[in-house]
Amino acid sequence: MITDLIAIIRDYWLLLLIGQYPNGPLGGLANTLILSALSIALAFPVSILLALARLSKWTPLRWPVTMLVYVTRGVPLLMLILWCYFVVPLVTGTDVPSFVIMLTTLVVYQGAFLSEVVRAGIVSLGHGQMDAARALGHSYLGAMRFVILPQALYNMIPSILSTFVSTIKDTTLGYVINVPDLTFAASQVNNQLLTQPFQVFLILALVYYALCWSLTHVANRIERRIARRRAGTVSATISETAQATKMITEQP
Amino acid sequence: MSTSANEPRDPQAIRISNVCKSYGQYKVLKDISAEVSRGEVVVICGPSGSGKSTLIRTVNRLEEINSGSISFNGHDIHAPMRTKELNLLRSRIGFVFQNFNLFPHLSVLDNIAMSPIRVKGVPAAEARAKAVKLLERVGLADKQNAYPGQLSGGQQQRVAIARALAMEPPVMLFDEPTSALDPEMVGEVLSVMKSLASEGMTMLCVTHEMGFARDVADRIWFIDAGQILETATPDEFFKNPQHPRAQRFLADLRH
Repeated sequence: MITDLIAIIRDYWLLLLIGQYPNGPLGGLANTLILSALSIALAFPVSILLALARLSKWTPLRWPVTMLVYVTRGVPLLMLILWCYFVVPLVTGTDVPSFVIMLTTLVVYQGAFLSEVVRAGIVSLGHGQMDAARALGHSYLGAMRFVILPQALYNMIPSILSTFVSTIKDTTLGYVINVPDLTFAASQVNNQLLTQPFQVFLILALVYYALCWSLTHVANRIERRIARRRAGTVSATISETAQATKMITEQP
Repeated sequence: MSTSANEPRDPQAIRISNVCKSYGQYKVLKDISAEVSRGEVVVICGPSGSGKSTLIRTVNRLEEINSGSISFNGHDIHAPMRTKELNLLRSRIGFVFQNFNLFPHLSVLDNIAMSPIRVKGVPAAEARAKAVKLLERVGLADKQNAYPGQLSGGQQQRVAIARALAMEPPVMLFDEPTSALDPEMVGEVLSVMKSLASEGMTMLCVTHEMGFARDVADRIWFIDAGQILETATPDEFFKNPQHPRAQRFLADLRH
């Protein structure tokens, strides 16, 4: 069993790591990482904009965005991917790479989910902080930037993080539209070996687990460091324990 | 306190004229008119739910009004205007909240220095130096690097006063600044307010601290059910209240 795993990794590590590259498109783990990183990097600012739009007093902005968020959240991701895959080329009339389609879909989908997290973070602060900032003469956006968002985003780190982790997991669905990612590479390996699906997909699972776990771990450390700085020196130990318990319960 | 050169010379710092406000059917403020002169300390008192807090929040437009007008140094605060203008006016009216509303993610020093830097464009070093001075003034020089969560309620409220003063407002509004405090911390906040008053600051305070009203106020507005029922000096008000509702209010306080 272990020897099988080692043999598969020894024979196919390059395919699993970078796909067909340089003889074909970049794929494998490298592509999964790129797709995840781009999705997260784009979905995060998009989510803040969506959240601000949903909190806007201006109806022509609030309603369409609210609709978008509701529809996106109410539809399975797989359906959204297939829909984009077939509709986008029809609309644009050109052949859009499946990687781009997957990226766009993930940004919209995770952006919508994250926007609800961000919005909850903003709303849960209450009116007092905004009132105080406005009374000091800050503009609405200035108050958001310097007072509301730093607190809202910080409070929401555990939830934001679990959305990031689920974004990584969701990249696997790119398989259905032939995005050459790690899952795609693993299934190529499986097609060549034919007799060892359990071993191949166990490797796949382990890699994804390592990826998601390390992201959670890194972010936990960042959060604890912020908490320590914010608590100053006096109550550092107490709040650190409190943070730790919180992280355990909210781990994705 | 600093006022800009092109200020219209209205002798009244705050002029409230025929202000009405309602939430749906419920009338919170009923045709209120009153003035606060420069350098005057006015205390608003009255039973809970009488509209005191709503009134003071309309003065810097944290609450909108339905009709009437409120002018601050001759500027109509509730007139239609660009938000930039409103923000500028607001930055010149200090406001102290019942629940302090300090920014918990910033150190005490940054709480005070942030708005001068971001709103007025004061250089950071200058704003910080000023913040240190203000902290000394409220007796918290040793707490510069603390975070609001590490301070007692009284200390937080003193920082909040310093934060408002950092914008160098010619007028300060206080919305029940001691109501959320433990009794032993009320004194430290009131003494900061007293020293402000003695320096000639124009102040409008909603408070239940009748001792403060008696000692510091130049005038008292007694407000009930959205109307100012009586305006009097502390002496007149406490010794010889005219309105029956005010008489009952003071009698209840003595029990």
